[in-house]
Parts: sequence; C-alpha cells; structure tokens
Amino acid sequence: MIEEPYRWVEAIANRREYIETQLAAGSPIAAVGYRDGILFVTLGRARQKIFEIYDRIAMGAIGHPGDIERLRLAAIELASTEGFTRSAADVSLRRLAHYSLSPVMKSAFEQVYGAPFLARLLFAEIGSSPKEDLFLRIDYDGAIAADGLTGQPRQRFAVLGGTRQSAELMEKFLQKEHVTAAALPDAINVAFDAWSVGRMAMGEDATKELPKRDAIRKYRDEQLANAGMEAAVLERDRKSAIRYRTLADEEVRSALQK
Amino acid sequence: MDKPPLALDQNFSGASEDFPALLRRKGMLQIAPEPTAATGTHPFVQTESTTILAFKFAGGVLVAGDRRATAGNTVVYDRADKVLEIDRHSIMAIAGVPATAWEMARVLEHSLQYFRRTQLQEMSVDGKVRALSKLLRDNFGFVMQGVGVVVPIFATYDGNSKPEARLYFYDAMGAQFEVTDYAATGSGSPAVRGILYYENNWGAKKLQELGEEEAVAIALRALDTAAEADTSTGGVDRGGKIFPLIKIVSREGITTLPDEKIAGVFKQKVA
Repeated sequence: MIEEPYRWVEAIANRREYIETQLAAGSPIAAVGYRDGILFVTLGRARQKIFEIYDRIAMGAIGHPGDIERLRLAAIELASTEGFTRSAADVSLRRLAHYSLSPVMKSAFEQVYGAPFLARLLFAEIGSSPKEDLFLRIDYDGAIAADGLTGQPRQRFAVLGGTRQSAELMEKFLQKEHVTAAALPDAINVAFDAWSVGRMAMGEDATKELPKRDAIRKYRDEQLANAGMEAAVLERDRKSAIRYRTLADEEVRSALQK
Repeated sequence: MDKPPLALDQNFSGASEDFPALLRRKGMLQIAPEPTAATGTHPFVQTESTTILAFKFAGGVLVAGDRRATAGNTVVYDRADKVLEIDRHSIMAIAGVPATAWEMARVLEHSLQYFRRTQLQEMSVDGKVRALSKLLRDNFGFVMQGVGVVVPIFATYDGNSKPEARLYFYDAMGAQFEVTDYAATGSGSPAVRGILYYENNWGAKKLQELGEEEAVAIALRALDTAAEADTSTGGVDRGGKIFPLIKIVSREGITTLPDEKIAGVFKQKVA
C-alpha cells in the first residue's frame, strides 16, 4: 500500500503528527551567547539533557532517551575519530550536522516501515570570536535550521522547545532581552527566564503572548524550587582545548536574582 | 546447531566499546603484528635513548624530561617534548621511539576524553593506568621486531584516592608498577635513580617534603648528571638556553613551568 505515493504522503503526515505529540511535553532548552562563551540551560527531572560532544561542541536534546543516546554516541564517535585522525580544528559542527546526522535522521523518518528518531537536537560550536560561533538545530526529520524560527539571521542564541509555540515565544523573549556582551550571571538569569517563558507556553493553560516580567520570575522561582537544573558552558578563552564545562548547582543558584 | 543467545552488548555499538576498539573497527589503528619469519625476531635492544623522571613532592607530582631526540649516534632534534598532557590531571612522559610514543599518547588522550564524553563520568585512575598498559601490550609486536619500543611514566592526581598523587612506570610489555616516591626511565635513568634514591634517604629533606623550587633544582641536577655520561640525554643546553621540560600535576591541574623560572632555579642552584 505504501507504494502508492498518496499513501506514502499520508503515512509521513501521520508519523509527523505522532512525533510532534511525543515531543510536546519536552522541557525547553535555551542556549545563549554571553561575553565569554555560550551557555546552555534547562530544568527537568533526573535525566541529563545537555551534553559535551567534542572540544568546542555541545548538544542539548529533547525526545526519547534511547534515540537521544544513539544520536549522541554517533556524534561523539564521528567527532572523536575526525579529531584523532586529523586534528581537533578539523572537527566542525557544520559538517557533522549536514553530512552525517541530518541524512541519517531524514532517511529514518521517511522509511515508514522503520522507526524514526524521536528527538530534536540543539548544537552550539564555539569559535575563536563571537562571529564564528554557530548555533544549529536538527529536527527529527533531518531538517537543519541555523537561524531562528522567526526568521532572524545570525542571532546569538537558539532555543529548543517541545512545541513550535513554546520555541517561538522563547525566541521572541530572547530577541527582546538577550544581551550579547552580558557577563555569565546575567546570561544565567536571561536563559532561565527564557526557559520559563517556553515552559509557560506549554500544556493546557499555555500562554500565547509573552508573559509579564513578574509572572515569568514568579513561575521561574517556583520551578527552580522543585525541579533539578542543568547548566553548562562552552568557554572561549580557556587554556585547555576542552571548552565544555558543567556549571555546579551552587554557581548557578548564586547567580540567580530574586 | 543452536545459535548462541544474543549478547546484550551486541545491540549497542558505542556504550561498551573503548576508543582503540572503535579505531580498529574503522581501520584506523592496527595491533602491531607479531614478528614473522620474514621480519625476523631481533634481540631486545634498549633503544629508549632519553631520560625522563618523576617524583612526588609537597606540591604534587613533578615530571621532567630532557629535550634531545637521537637516531643512532646523531642528535636529530633538541626541542623534543617528552612530557605530554593526557587530560586535566594526567601526564605521560615517554622514553622510546618518538613515532610510536607520540601516537600512543594521542590514542590515550582521545581514549580518556571519549570515555568521559560517552559514559558521562571520568575514568578512574585504575582505568587510565590500565588503558595505557593495553596500548603497550598491543604495540609489543613492534618491540619484538626491534622497532617501536616505548617505556612511559604516568603521573596523575585524583582527589578521591589515597594517596591523591599517583605515579606509575611501565615496562615495554605493558606491566605497570606503582611507586611511592619516584620513577625514572630511559637510557640515562640509572644515574637519575641513584640521585633520587640518595636524596630521598639522606638528602636534607625527603622528596615528598620538598617545596617547588627545591624539587625543580633536584630535577635539573638529576638530568644534568644523566647527560654527563649518557650521549642520548640532552640535559641543559647552556649555550642555546634550552631547558628540560618540567610539568607539575596537583589537585588544581597541570602547570608547565615557564623557561624563565627554570632558568632562574638553574642559575641559582645548579650552574
């Protein structure tokens, strides 16, 4: 039955709908550039969602843990063998995404007898100057987006949400509040505010408009009191080649303003 | 014939595999072949022409190496780095054939990072020590053929172990030996071992009680002594101002001592 083109299109549409439903509950992830690097944050339950891929590359993901794990291991494997056979400088996020991950995710999605990847990925690569930083999203169907959902090119932040509405509101918030030259504590605040906006735009009583500042902070503090937080940075000027560093709970909490 | 039950790890390509195994699967790393009739077996020759040493002192572990690289009786290079950083708290110092040794250090460095990234935890000290041992064992075919012998020292610092500073030396087959105070390998090492043994037992202080400057002075004196009798050890090139490479690993990580600092200690306490 799948041989008929119409059935194939229908099968793909069903599959898309199914995956979107599965991803809808995913806790958002915000990645923002700041003065000395790039910061990733999210809040959630016990499962880790922000990962080190290579010296200058980090990944955040929402979706099924099993699928995230397969993609994460594939990305690390590819980056590590490239870095070993050539050099760390030859490992590039652009090539990793365009030539390796995206084609695999696309064909898994379109081969309707097999299982697709239930995952949405957000990558960032730190360059030697802010101009060379790269933010990149890969969706479950292999689609790559380097710019924002709302069509702003070369913005220095990126978000990942379970739903389009959640992600769009986060971007809208960051377009207003994000400061490229902010110090890390300020970036932490903006990033967790953005996360809160994304989270408030999910579920049954979701907001469709940007919430007021007080409402965001109130919601954020409630969530921070209950949920585990996760934060990591890619630092530009580190003596070590490895730029990825997980932020300790105390470091994040001491930066948060009331 | 019944098929054997599917092993759990057959379903996973990455989780249980270490980095050298991954490289071998991709054809990027070979186990050194055992000697055949054609290649022949050569008597084991001590070709690790260099001197490297390491000892524990009050500020962590000091690892030092001379800078000379030789081919037969020719000096080919006078700025070789034989003390290499493997991760934030581990140093590998190498005596032996540079091509093999540097490649081995590269594999080890990537192995530890690959483990941390995939498994989301640091490899234990014992795991790191064993990883180097396996690389040496895989290389033993080349040693038997008379090429590619490597005899490293491995120093690491682990805040969770007792003692916190750990120091190992290896033989060419991959056996590891943990030492309490000091280690030295390479052609100039007999002299160095003599000095360190003497200092540790009858010196003004035990090695583990030395401050940084005193430790650097002893390392420089030891390398200078080794170079006095061993042509393959560079010691200190006073004319060219080429100093040994000295790194210190402590709880805070690894520091490479700048040349000016080494020159200062050398001028005061050695020259």
